[in-house]
Amino acid sequence: MKLISRRTVLRGLGVSVALPLLEAMQPRLSLAAAPATQAPRRLAFLYVPNGIHMADWKPTTTGSHFELPRTLQPLAPYRDQLLVLSNLTADKARPHGDGPGDHARAMAAFLTGAQPRKTAGSNIRVGISADQIAAQKIGKATRFASLEIGCEGGRQAGSCDSGYSCAYSSTLSWRNESSPIAKETNPRLVFERLFSASGTVSDTRSLKNAGYRRSLLDFVTEDANRLRRQLGVTDLRKLDEYLTGVREIEQRLSRVEKEGDFQGVPGGYSAPTALPRTMKEHLRLLADMLVLAFQADLTRVCTFVFANEGSNRPYREINISDGHHDLSHHGRKPDKMAKIQQINQFHIEQLAYLIGRLQSIQEGSGTLLDSCMIAYGSGNSDGNRHNHDDLPILLLGKGGGTIRPGRHILYPRETPLNNLWLSLLDRMGVNIDGFGDSTGRLPGLDG
Amino acid sequence: MKHNLATSRIVLGFQPSSRFTGEIDSMLVVSRPATFLVLLVLSPVLSAADTAPPRFERDIAPLIDRYCLRCHGADKPKGGVDLSQHRDDATIRKHLALWERVGENLRSGDMPPAGARKPTAAEMAVLERWLDAVVFKADCDGPLDPGKPTIRRLNRVEYYNTIRDLMGVDFKPARDFPADDVGHGFDNIGDVLSLPPLLMEKYVAAAEQIVEAAWKLPEFRRRIQPPPFNRGALQGNLQKFASQAWRRPATEEEAQRLLRFVQLAREAGDSPDVGIRLALQAILVSPHFLYRIEQNPTNPEGWITPFELATRLSYFLWSSLPDDELMLLARENKLRQPGILEEQVRRMVQSPKSAALAENFAGQWLNIRSLASFSPDPKRFPTFNAALRRDMIRETEAFFLHVVRENRSVLDFLDADYTFLNARLARHYGISDVQGDELRKVSLKGTPRGGVLTQASVLAVTSNPTRTSPVKRGKWILENLLGTPPPPPAPDAGELPEGVELKGTLRQQMEQHRANPSCATCHQRMDPLGFGLENFDAIGAWRTQENGLAIDATGELPDGSKFNGPAELRKVLLAKKQLFVRCLTDKLLTYAIGRGTERSDRCFIEKIVKQAEKDDYRFTDLIIHLVKSDPFQKRRVERSAKR
Repeated sequence: MKLISRRTVLRGLGVSVALPLLEAMQPRLSLAAAPATQAPRRLAFLYVPNGIHMADWKPTTTGSHFELPRTLQPLAPYRDQLLVLSNLTADKARPHGDGPGDHARAMAAFLTGAQPRKTAGSNIRVGISADQIAAQKIGKATRFASLEIGCEGGRQAGSCDSGYSCAYSSTLSWRNESSPIAKETNPRLVFERLFSASGTVSDTRSLKNAGYRRSLLDFVTEDANRLRRQLGVTDLRKLDEYLTGVREIEQRLSRVEKEGDFQGVPGGYSAPTALPRTMKEHLRLLADMLVLAFQADLTRVCTFVFANEGSNRPYREINISDGHHDLSHHGRKPDKMAKIQQINQFHIEQLAYLIGRLQSIQEGSGTLLDSCMIAYGSGNSDGNRHNHDDLPILLLGKGGGTIRPGRHILYPRETPLNNLWLSLLDRMGVNIDGFGDSTGRLPGLDG
Repeated sequence: MKHNLATSRIVLGFQPSSRFTGEIDSMLVVSRPATFLVLLVLSPVLSAADTAPPRFERDIAPLIDRYCLRCHGADKPKGGVDLSQHRDDATIRKHLALWERVGENLRSGDMPPAGARKPTAAEMAVLERWLDAVVFKADCDGPLDPGKPTIRRLNRVEYYNTIRDLMGVDFKPARDFPADDVGHGFDNIGDVLSLPPLLMEKYVAAAEQIVEAAWKLPEFRRRIQPPPFNRGALQGNLQKFASQAWRRPATEEEAQRLLRFVQLAREAGDSPDVGIRLALQAILVSPHFLYRIEQNPTNPEGWITPFELATRLSYFLWSSLPDDELMLLARENKLRQPGILEEQVRRMVQSPKSAALAENFAGQWLNIRSLASFSPDPKRFPTFNAALRRDMIRETEAFFLHVVRENRSVLDFLDADYTFLNARLARHYGISDVQGDELRKVSLKGTPRGGVLTQASVLAVTSNPTRTSPVKRGKWILENLLGTPPPPPAPDAGELPEGVELKGTLRQQMEQHRANPSCATCHQRMDPLGFGLENFDAIGAWRTQENGLAIDATGELPDGSKFNGPAELRKVLLAKKQLFVRCLTDKLLTYAIGRGTERSDRCFIEKIVKQAEKDDYRFTDLIIHLVKSDPFQKRRVERSAKR
């Protein structure tokens, strides 16, 4: 039998006996092949929908002496960690003959720099996203190649945006051009996944179980490989997703076999229990998960969607009963613009919470934030105009000393947003010539 | 019979009413003259037959020259779209993909772009007729493509139901699986159902938990484990279980592979139990379980196998796997024998499991699922709470199921003199004499309500948190009842101010908005429909005043039909029943086969609608016609896939 002969029972189970268990039980804070003296670099992309009230976002002057605009005030304590990057453009979010659908396109193009195919469901297609390029290159170094989290799942009924499948307006991460990656929305489940509480895949309890699980995965891989020969092209794409999923679990099992199960939760953080009742609580719990994952070096790549593109949730906790999307079509009415500004600032307060947490954690001679690159923004600029140039983009953290924050940089108009992503990927050790609509590296990040 | 069908994407009331001919007369069975007029104006198929299509050279080419070629000519065509080379219908038919886009952009008003000269209404009417006759026409003669759904992963509801019916385990964690993406309005579309690694992890973990839970059930254990351990019997049991789980006969070889897990456990020093449970987990993680696999048909006509047919049926009506009876019929190859399919559909809709059709099909068709995230302003709507929300959903589901199970006419969805209420919902509606928490059938005679449009669920999901939205309600009707969705608004279209500063009725505010000509065309289609429902507030309660002013619930559609209030609006919609039945059939087919409908499907849909008409549009009968149609029975044969 193939599954037994390829990876024998003895290999799967016998190794457990030989493993130095004591060492294996220790939490691994830095498993990657990064230079021993330097903390690994981490990259996160945070997304907010419906654009921004730009008048209260964009600093009036550039360089390091810019004045922090109203919406960005909550970031005042971290001003020296902040880059405001203006004039970046997501050109592929524009119609280019595809008509309306700016929300769907804004999100789909944000990390891909690719024009999403306009379809309500058949043959969805955009492009691989920046986070997944990183995950596929450096993801093997950590237990999870990447982490995808957000406050809202996919939409449950109806249409999302003008003939675009809902996958476009609820997905930031694309494994390849046709595979959107769903996000985990429940902080408790994120925690359990990260820290091997009972019931998750990495709960192998013993290495023997890991061996069993491996045999199971071999069995279903064989099923899938046999099926491959019988299916058409689109079906094959689906099966490839299946096989990718199986392979990722196998890789994680290998790590468990080598290193033992991860036991320690940094700082003794205990699992979130009830579902969060407010958005603030929800965002902060998810931010905690991001911090824990980076801190324990379980992953180095994360996408975090504050709300899906076109989201129409009210923000009662700050006394806004109108839907966010409805408000974003403010028609230049001052009261609506004021409410949009309040929502923008509310989101920035939660970003500030995340940054504060990252900065509070010592790592080596600096803080966790020092090794991070936290990009934050929207694929729409003004929600009323649906324009995709001069996007609201922030970058926080020092990227392991490769970035000099504390400035506002005004780039030439129409500078592709993907140039920024390309430059961040460089800093993650992922050197590619380009992707999506990038035209080169973004200069000036290191001063 | 030779029948060419025009598309159903017709702008309401667009057809000039001057084109009445005797030919149409003879094709229509109508009871009242008033209905007759409205029907005529609205029926695209009939009116397309009525006038000879415009001639390209004479009627269309000058319009293309005037409005398109300045940008889309041979010299530096914008967007690479050069329309100057296609100068007759035959050439255009060879480039349909391009011209469908041209047609869609023309209809939506996106082209010619803002600022450019636009065709007049009369010119647009000519273009519309030409588009229907040439560009959007589906040719229903000759062999038709039955289409090919991409293999479908079980969505989370289907996974939950399948586990329940297969193993007797109530596996709640399935609700924590990542939300399935929606395409074409539904979350069971093969192309959109992806399998991210996160979900794969959850499937593996779920299989373990489910098998552990099932193993504790004596009945389940007996099914699998022979009393004294016996290799042959165990292999047979595993084969049987895998056949059920995979919805097709598992082979002996597959059963032998499964049995090797027992061997594996023994070699590791564990009891056979451990190996059996591992084999069961493997069955639940296998792609044969997680996906609904359909093979490339081996017959030239493309009939899917009896097992695939049984599977399509059961996931369509039950969102779950086929039961023993369906599997037996499939095994004996009897499903396609005369009368059997009818009998099975009737049996299946009577089963409690058909509640899934209400939750999943109706819940998405009518957008009721979005009610879960609807949170009206508690200051304005203090009576709204979780219990009322639940009742609203239950009302619509119960109503839908009643129409299905009693084989009522689908026109009940537009107008019915009954609904299902409990005490709380009845109070919300201002209806007395309904007691208790149980929903029961209640007469609506003498009330303004009737049909799904006046159910609180629909009225609420089409509202904003602080107020009603006649636009959203109108759009909802056009999209979900009539199948004629309006194009989206221009990005910088103004919206109405909300909240306290609002003076006068919403309607008065909106009429100012419609004075803007670029907004008027579409809003003239949407807003009046919504105005007819203004007597219902944002959570569906009846009202006669808004901001101290009397509600004006009159409306007039571009086709000239007028109404005042919900009862008359219903009559107007009933007169458009062919659009409605076509729209419902299109959505039902999309849901049933898990893919968006395409050009050739228009022919199948039209055939189903015609058959349904003979049956007075009874719902179960419509379902029977649908499951007998080619898109449900067949699958495109792919030569290259043969190996």
